[in-house]
Amino acid sequence: MRALKSIGLRVGRRLAASVPALLGVVVFTFVLMRVLPGDPAVFFASGPNAGQAEIQMIREQMGLDRPVHEQLIRYFAEIGRGQLGRSMTTGQAVVADLRERLPASLELTLAALVLALGFAIPLGILAALRPNSALDHVVRFVCSMGVCVPTFVSGLLLIYVFYVVLGISPDPTGRIDIFAASPPDITGFLLIDFAITGDWAGWYAAAGQLLLPACTMALFVLAPLARMTRASMLAVLGSDFIRTARSIGLSHWKVIVVHGLRNALLPVITITGIVFSTMLGANVLVEKVFSWPGVGSYALDALLGSDYAPVQGFVLMMALAFVVVNLLIDVLYGIADPRVNVE
Amino acid sequence: MKFNRRQGLKAAAATAAATGAIAAAAPREAMSQTRAETLRQVMGGVINSLDATMLGGTREGFGLVMNTYDRLCSMGRKPVSTGGFTFDLDNIRGELAERIDRSADGLTYTFHIRQNATWHDGTPVTAEDVKWSLDRSVSARSLAPPQMSMSSYTSPDQYKIVGEKVVEVKLPRSDRLALGNLSTPYAMMINSKLAKQHATSDDPWAINYLKENQAGGGAYIVESHRPGQQLQLRRNDNWKNGLNGELPFFRRIIMQTVPEAATRASLVERGDADLCIDLAASDVPAIESRNRAKVVAIPQGNTFQCIVFNTRVAPFDNPKVRRAFALALPYDAMFQAALFSRGSKYYGATWTHAPNGNFPQPLGINQDLDRAKALLAEAGFPNGLETTFTYAVSMSAFVDPMAALLQEALGRIGVRVAIQKLPDAQIGTLIVERRLPFFTDLGSAWLPSPDYFFRLYYSGETRWNYSGWQNAEVTAMAQEARFTLDQARYDDICRRMIDISLEQMPHVMLWSGNHEAVMSKDISGYTYWFHRMVDWRDLKRG
Repeated sequence: MRALKSIGLRVGRRLAASVPALLGVVVFTFVLMRVLPGDPAVFFASGPNAGQAEIQMIREQMGLDRPVHEQLIRYFAEIGRGQLGRSMTTGQAVVADLRERLPASLELTLAALVLALGFAIPLGILAALRPNSALDHVVRFVCSMGVCVPTFVSGLLLIYVFYVVLGISPDPTGRIDIFAASPPDITGFLLIDFAITGDWAGWYAAAGQLLLPACTMALFVLAPLARMTRASMLAVLGSDFIRTARSIGLSHWKVIVVHGLRNALLPVITITGIVFSTMLGANVLVEKVFSWPGVGSYALDALLGSDYAPVQGFVLMMALAFVVVNLLIDVLYGIADPRVNVE
Repeated sequence: MKFNRRQGLKAAAATAAATGAIAAAAPREAMSQTRAETLRQVMGGVINSLDATMLGGTREGFGLVMNTYDRLCSMGRKPVSTGGFTFDLDNIRGELAERIDRSADGLTYTFHIRQNATWHDGTPVTAEDVKWSLDRSVSARSLAPPQMSMSSYTSPDQYKIVGEKVVEVKLPRSDRLALGNLSTPYAMMINSKLAKQHATSDDPWAINYLKENQAGGGAYIVESHRPGQQLQLRRNDNWKNGLNGELPFFRRIIMQTVPEAATRASLVERGDADLCIDLAASDVPAIESRNRAKVVAIPQGNTFQCIVFNTRVAPFDNPKVRRAFALALPYDAMFQAALFSRGSKYYGATWTHAPNGNFPQPLGINQDLDRAKALLAEAGFPNGLETTFTYAVSMSAFVDPMAALLQEALGRIGVRVAIQKLPDAQIGTLIVERRLPFFTDLGSAWLPSPDYFFRLYYSGETRWNYSGWQNAEVTAMAQEARFTLDQARYDDICRRMIDISLEQMPHVMLWSGNHEAVMSKDISGYTYWFHRMVDWRDLKRG
């Protein structure tokens, strides 16, 4: 009970400490969007015959006719009410859009991360066990390829091979077969929702849709994870306690996984946190190629149209995600290595 | 440190599991019975409002409201020699109106509403509904009023209920586009009883409600809408306002946003999607040659690509400079590079005075470097000049090669051109503020009569008068043409306006690219509409 309370306190303190940073992010994005050239009112008043009067109407509707400081105060008031404004691009409230799209991005990112870790850690360990062997070179080559090929190229390539030529993958348009009934809307994570409702055919379909984009993203982040695992394992495997473990006759497997890997995991966890946050924001190309209705492509469309509210909402959300992920990583540190203190 | 057998087996098992998952992901069989009656269209854009008149509404919404709402009247269509159909502004029939009477002086139109017409909720269409909808089109804070004013509709006083199911529309002057404009997406007819229930004192025209809800009576009903992702519609089986009262073929329509053009192309080629109208121009010839899908290419007589000079700043305030630039351009090479010559030319005629009043048409302008050089010297730039040519990022696919040719050709008359690409929102702002000297843009007209082009693109103060050109004679003539009933006089005026515009050259008309719709081979009846979106009511399978 006391331990829980102390963890709660720590978490609360960490969250409180992040508030000024979040405020800074809000103000910075807010100002930046207005400094960037391009008038959203002009962009959206592009109907035939739309003239100065219509541009002015849109400006009023978006509140852009008011002085910037007043706009900022109004924006803060809106955040206080739990709102983030309205997107001109989709015509919906930004909060509603993000709520609909964030699960899609999270599901994709998490699946890609699990996939990437599933390959990267074994590959990293194998490479570390035989440094400079042929195997090590193969792993290095695979990682370099993954990083060198931009995600939209590998995405299009995977689509071409598995959808266009082989025809074994479903059409790369979003999270679910378009002709299927719409998914149960419980958590927004389709794999979880289908599992809850026990619709396993739906679950397989959703997993099928997820596989190619997740592979595309996993390929891209394989390198940092595998290389970090390798480097960290190399350092650990050379240390005294491993030699001791071997000398007292522990099994090969136990030495590597229990004594080696556990000690080598800290830097891998750190890099996983960074990779995850980056993926969440940077998977926009994958989302575009696979028509994945995620937050990345949403923010990009808004940015191209100088649509302020969604971009601000997206940046705020990403900042929040970063805070939460960092917190999570710190907690994981504690589990991986009890000597580490979250404070 | 050995890589033992067990580890090897584990790695192999992981690989096998991944391969198996891909195989399991093979698509489930679509329900073949309804699949034939379902049309799946993929598009790059999004629909952000169920009411296309909303401020900020996207172009994709035009096609939607044509299908979910009716208008009083509808333009006809005519076959095109290359296959498919195109719209016909001169052949207008009643849609929600079963009869339209026009008074002899052209000042009064009387619309008789179809006796058995109903809204989606089953209630009958009344004269009050029509009056309310027309009032809304000229009064609401939306994109509709400026469009309606293009044909002299400005005030609710012009619309009067004169009997049960009869509405009278009065015009201050006889206007050529009076009926045509009532066939556009903005003149949609709304179930006013339903809309009024959701109107508030701040929002008397139920703009907020109609953005996300429907109150129409059109051929299709929106079943589900995920903004930015997809929209699904089902057919309204009680719809009676089609040509000869026929129902459309497709029972279900799926409109899906697929941002990547290459993905859209493979979807249609593999037959998983049925229709796409916004593929990359460079993909279409390849699709045509592989012959797995059908390409219908229809000239877009109501659109144009142009090169614009800002006539309000030096050096382009001098018509001689503008003409010199126009004479220096390598038209054919640019057309080939930009669009693989898939379209209609608006250059290359040999006349000096327009032979007829059609517009746009091939104009009497061709590359002539010697004359261009001479004109530039005459304008006071014997040693050439420097300028910047700007275009939007969204146009780079076809403007990049064209800009390089333009740069090279102008170099030959001593003009040094810097090329600048800008994001769309930014370029829009610069055009409105008239801060770009020299750029390219696209234009289109819903009601492509020559006077409409001249009013919208060659006069006035809106963004669409790209060059900011003001010519008192053309402005006056465009207004006169709009109201004249005498066809011979109208043609005279148009010929004169073409001649002046060619001599003054506020912008160079280049060409109009074909409208290229790629569809499954078994789909027929495709029609190009003035709003450049798909009207699903035209389409059939088999």
